[in-house]
Amino acid sequence: MTRRWTVAVVALLVAGSATGAATCGEQLGSSLRRVESTRYAIAYRIEPAPIVVGRHFVLELAVCAKDGAPPPQSLRVDAQMPAHRHGMNYRPGVTTVAPGRFRADGLLFHMPGQWEFVFDVGANGKTERLSSPIDIE
Amino acid sequence: MTASLPRRQSLANGRGRLAKPLGVAFALLAWSASPQADAPAPVTFTEIERTRILAHGPWPRPATRDPSNRMSGRAEAVAFGERLFFDTRLSQNGLVSCAACHQPKRHWTDGRERAIGLAVVDRNTPSLQNVRDARWFGWDGAGDSLWGQSIRPLLDPREMGNSIAGVAARIREIADFACHYRQAFGRAPPADDTVVVVDAAKALAAFEETLDSPRTPFDEFRDALSRGDSQAMARYPAAAQRGLKLFAGRGRCELCHGGPTFSNGEFNDTGIAFFIEPGRVDPGRYGGIKQLKVSEWNLLGAWSDDPARTTATSTRYVALEHRNFGEFKVPGLRDVAMTAPYMHNGSLKTLDDVVNHYSELPLDRLHADGERLLVPLKLTPDEKRDLIAFLESLSAPDPGFQRRETRAAVCN
Repeated sequence: MTRRWTVAVVALLVAGSATGAATCGEQLGSSLRRVESTRYAIAYRIEPAPIVVGRHFVLELAVCAKDGAPPPQSLRVDAQMPAHRHGMNYRPGVTTVAPGRFRADGLLFHMPGQWEFVFDVGANGKTERLSSPIDIE
Repeated sequence: MTASLPRRQSLANGRGRLAKPLGVAFALLAWSASPQADAPAPVTFTEIERTRILAHGPWPRPATRDPSNRMSGRAEAVAFGERLFFDTRLSQNGLVSCAACHQPKRHWTDGRERAIGLAVVDRNTPSLQNVRDARWFGWDGAGDSLWGQSIRPLLDPREMGNSIAGVAARIREIADFACHYRQAFGRAPPADDTVVVVDAAKALAAFEETLDSPRTPFDEFRDALSRGDSQAMARYPAAAQRGLKLFAGRGRCELCHGGPTFSNGEFNDTGIAFFIEPGRVDPGRYGGIKQLKVSEWNLLGAWSDDPARTTATSTRYVALEHRNFGEFKVPGLRDVAMTAPYMHNGSLKTLDDVVNHYSELPLDRLHADGERLLVPLKLTPDEKRDLIAFLESLSAPDPGFQRRETRAAVCN
């Protein structure tokens, strides 16, 4: 009995990690923003929302590996203004909350305009970059 | 001003990638009290311009307290801080006070290119008006709290030139200081010199937090725009309206000079020379971050009164980058017409000089590291006049500073 439950739980976890963008980060609640590549899906929540120019904010993130991709082991978070070719004046600190769950502290946008979050997902010694644009006024 | 973008990204053309489709345009029928000098011209603001204009208020803003300073907002500390601020006896030679450079009659600056304390300092004296809104303090942001920043000039050999022990001794030994310290802190100045100096700095900060600038003609216009009162809006001169449109629109000054104080509180290289003298360079923000990280007074240190360090987020995560070299703090623009000369070294004498600087911007002087934020605005003479009319509308007649200590001079 115990063994059957264990297999079932493992199967659910595998299924959960393989479903990709649609269900990734459900545990983070509502108002999620999403971005995906062929190998990873990221869902993230901004806290507090909306972002206010000149005020620090936090990202709570879920990174889900798609079929065949290794589970995410690390995450680096940054942001930039592509039109201006500059980034933030702050380097966010990322902590692992649980497998595939991260929290990025210390972000601050110091100008209005179009920003772009940059997420570097690390696994098995390789890094994959995903980016997600966001307009700030 | 610090920011601009190419004309191809002007609001009239949809602001390039940064813009959403323009929404409702707000037409303002301009009216002028002196039509011969300021011909009526309809000024329209796009929705995004309107959003940014409204973000400059409301003014005044609510009182706030600094969690890192337990004396913030306390009347006894404000009174003690004011007394210290105007008293020369905290300086090494007993001749220089904070008010020597931060003069009330000059909107808390001194009118000089570079400050002069016991010697000539490297930078221009920044105004203290609205200083409570800052995230970083000083042209290089080496301070992350107003109380921490208030310690620096006491000890700088070119400013007040004292020492920790010297300041503490004066506060203990001068009966008036010791009495007001006791009133503010509920105990006599203790034996620990550093405790006394940090406390004095927190009292100074409590006073400096009260130095808010008054409402201006711009604020009247901004509030009228907010409530859609076209009659009140029309009282704002047409030239200032056109200048405001330039400021919020094509000039993109808002990128750095946004918000109620007209500053985003951060740092930029704006093409001002950073040689202090031949062979000596002012590293600006680069040096400021390095100083901040090792300062025992920073908000991550033991002297903050904020146990959760909620105010230390910026200090914890600020990044030191090569591009910080030659960056200086974006100053607020309230009362800007009253605080000449301008820029970190006081090298631009008038608002005309400042507007001309951004119009012709020496790109070869920028330490941009590939950044594409600043470009020459290439303003016409009329546009320059309009921009200056707007900047002048950010100032109000000086209401005059009345010292509180005269009302409670006796301390027993």
